[in-house]
Amino acid sequence: MKRRWVSLGLSLLGPVSALLISAILGAFVMLAIGKNPLQVYAVMISYNLGQLDSIGSIFYRATPLIFSGLAVAIGFKAGLFNIGVEGQYYLGAFFASWAGVYIKGLPAYIHLPLVILFGIAGGVIWAWLPIYLKVKRGAHEVITTIMMNSIASAVMLYFIHDVFMDQNQGTLGAPRVRMPPIQPTARMPTMLGFLHAIGIDMPNYVAINWFLVLAVLAAVAVYYVLWRTPFGYELRAVGQNPQAAEAAGINTKRIQYQAFLLSGAIAGLVGLSDLLTYFGYLDIDFPKGYGFSGIAVALLANNNPFGIILSSLLFGFLERGGLGIQALAGVPREVTTILEGVVILTVVTVTAIIGRQVRAYERHMAAIATAAEPPVDTRAPGGGQ
Amino acid sequence: MHPDLILAAGASSPAIADAVASAIRLTTPLLLAALGAVFTERGGVVNIGLEGMMIFGAFWSAWGAYTYGPLAGLAIGAVAGAIMSLVHAIVSVTFRVDQIVSGVAINTLAYGLVRVASQALFHSATTSPSVPSLTRIDVPLLDRIPALQPLMANLSPLIVFAFALVPVSWWVLNRTVFGLRLRSVGENPLAADTLGINVALMRYAGVLISGLLAGLAGGYLAVEQTSMYVEGMTAGRGFVALAAMIFGNWTPVGAMLASLLFGLADSLSIRVTIPHVPYQFVNSLPYILTIVVLAGAVGHARAPAADGVPYERSGE
Repeated sequence: MKRRWVSLGLSLLGPVSALLISAILGAFVMLAIGKNPLQVYAVMISYNLGQLDSIGSIFYRATPLIFSGLAVAIGFKAGLFNIGVEGQYYLGAFFASWAGVYIKGLPAYIHLPLVILFGIAGGVIWAWLPIYLKVKRGAHEVITTIMMNSIASAVMLYFIHDVFMDQNQGTLGAPRVRMPPIQPTARMPTMLGFLHAIGIDMPNYVAINWFLVLAVLAAVAVYYVLWRTPFGYELRAVGQNPQAAEAAGINTKRIQYQAFLLSGAIAGLVGLSDLLTYFGYLDIDFPKGYGFSGIAVALLANNNPFGIILSSLLFGFLERGGLGIQALAGVPREVTTILEGVVILTVVTVTAIIGRQVRAYERHMAAIATAAEPPVDTRAPGGGQ
Repeated sequence: MHPDLILAAGASSPAIADAVASAIRLTTPLLLAALGAVFTERGGVVNIGLEGMMIFGAFWSAWGAYTYGPLAGLAIGAVAGAIMSLVHAIVSVTFRVDQIVSGVAINTLAYGLVRVASQALFHSATTSPSVPSLTRIDVPLLDRIPALQPLMANLSPLIVFAFALVPVSWWVLNRTVFGLRLRSVGENPLAADTLGINVALMRYAGVLISGLLAGLAGGYLAVEQTSMYVEGMTAGRGFVALAAMIFGNWTPVGAMLASLLFGLADSLSIRVTIPHVPYQFVNSLPYILTIVVLAGAVGHARAPAADGVPYERSGE
């Protein structure tokens, strides 16, 4: 029992010290552009926690990051690096938008789930080629998925601008490059009514919605699949040591193939919260970058699904805070992007250092234990080193 | 080749020389970054952060050129790339963190840093004012031949430098003690360590060379090609350069040939319109080619044996 608390403490030590170091490095960036870091952080905290709409906004911003972090984490657990979540969610959003616009006459309880399935399909389809080429040809998934991201942008531009552009946008100003509006039957409702019923009144522009609940359920499901099923066991075995897994009779290529498609499926959900609740149409300026943020989210959580919920909330906090410090303290919001990169670097570095110290400590303890055992040995314990 | 495509590219010889010249201009940044990638990977360190080092180099070289002139600007860009690569070396060589994770973090970091620095220094997040370029050079005599003129006149000196770097890199890697040691820590760091070679030092050297050259590649884009910094101007070229290095089988000459192929695809994607094919897909040509090349190259390509594997002395 005590051992468990020690290991929990050690696993939190990495992220917590990484966040502290990141905050300090972020302070240096603010000093470099002539701002008082303490004041900026104070503005960020009071802006974020001082008003109810900020809290709602943090949960809304965390929603796509939970999906994205889960998608990246499944890849990491299987020894794969899915940088392609970015492109996969563009395609998921496009597929969902198509089904939301052009499939007509269905009741909401069929249409909305169908649209979500289309989103999943988009993500899976865009994930298929990189993992197929990885398994069949050995092409490294990192570079192929990055290329697929660039191609996804081109595909989106083509479909939104050249094929499915909304031609009935009225006469006010230049038409936006966007698809027609998604039908009401495919829109995801906000949680505001529910929150009101339990006594929390948020302003009606807050877009916190039921995808948040789906994201939390997805985290539970990913935890269950990875840690409680034979498939998850094999997946983690492949990620930790592919040679040993292969020797133990696990078909590593098949597991990696399935794991990557599962990752793509979850990636397909990333953009839907924005698409089906906030925007209601697919715009060429649809939010970008969730796929990359998902990498930081997953690493900070050490790929733990419940940790991913927490780190998504933290990144939602940073993003919302980014708006606050831009508006109220005159600090460019990209400071939070810098913090994201610094968080990744420090969390992996600190974790590596702690891991090494723990291993050295365990070796040391083992050496003392073995040295103490044979009573005939007259040398001092550990003196043999 | 489709007849319309030839028409679109122009069939007369000056036009062909023009197209080749454009391809060579677009090859240059890829070549510089790919040569750097050869050094870091032959030393056993994968550098996915090339893209971030390029964008960092592009921004700081534009700032340097704006403030101190083009030559100083390019030097500052190269140093900026090297500083980013130093972060990569510290994290992945000294602390033995997963090299790909480190490289991805560097790309994120570089993106954020240049956005903030650009707002602070240029009062615009996305572009710099126009900056001066190096004086253009003409190749004597050859620039008089009309058919060759687009290739031989009005050249950026950095193009000549990049191509001259190919034999130099070959010589350094294959004919110097440094090159031998660098390759040995990429193939078998344990054996190299046993022979008294400082593995970490060699790997730092490889990573720093890649950062310098990636920064210079970014500098070429900003100072020489566009005469200004534009956000996102590297457009994935750091990753394409990595693919070129792999396709070139981890050798300088191979990297050059592969970079030329990608440079040609790049110039076609800008210059050519193919009937019935949407321009968005033509623009994606370099990315599609990268995937095709990676999928096809693996049959004959062989990475250094310890590429991407952190070296840990036992008992440490």
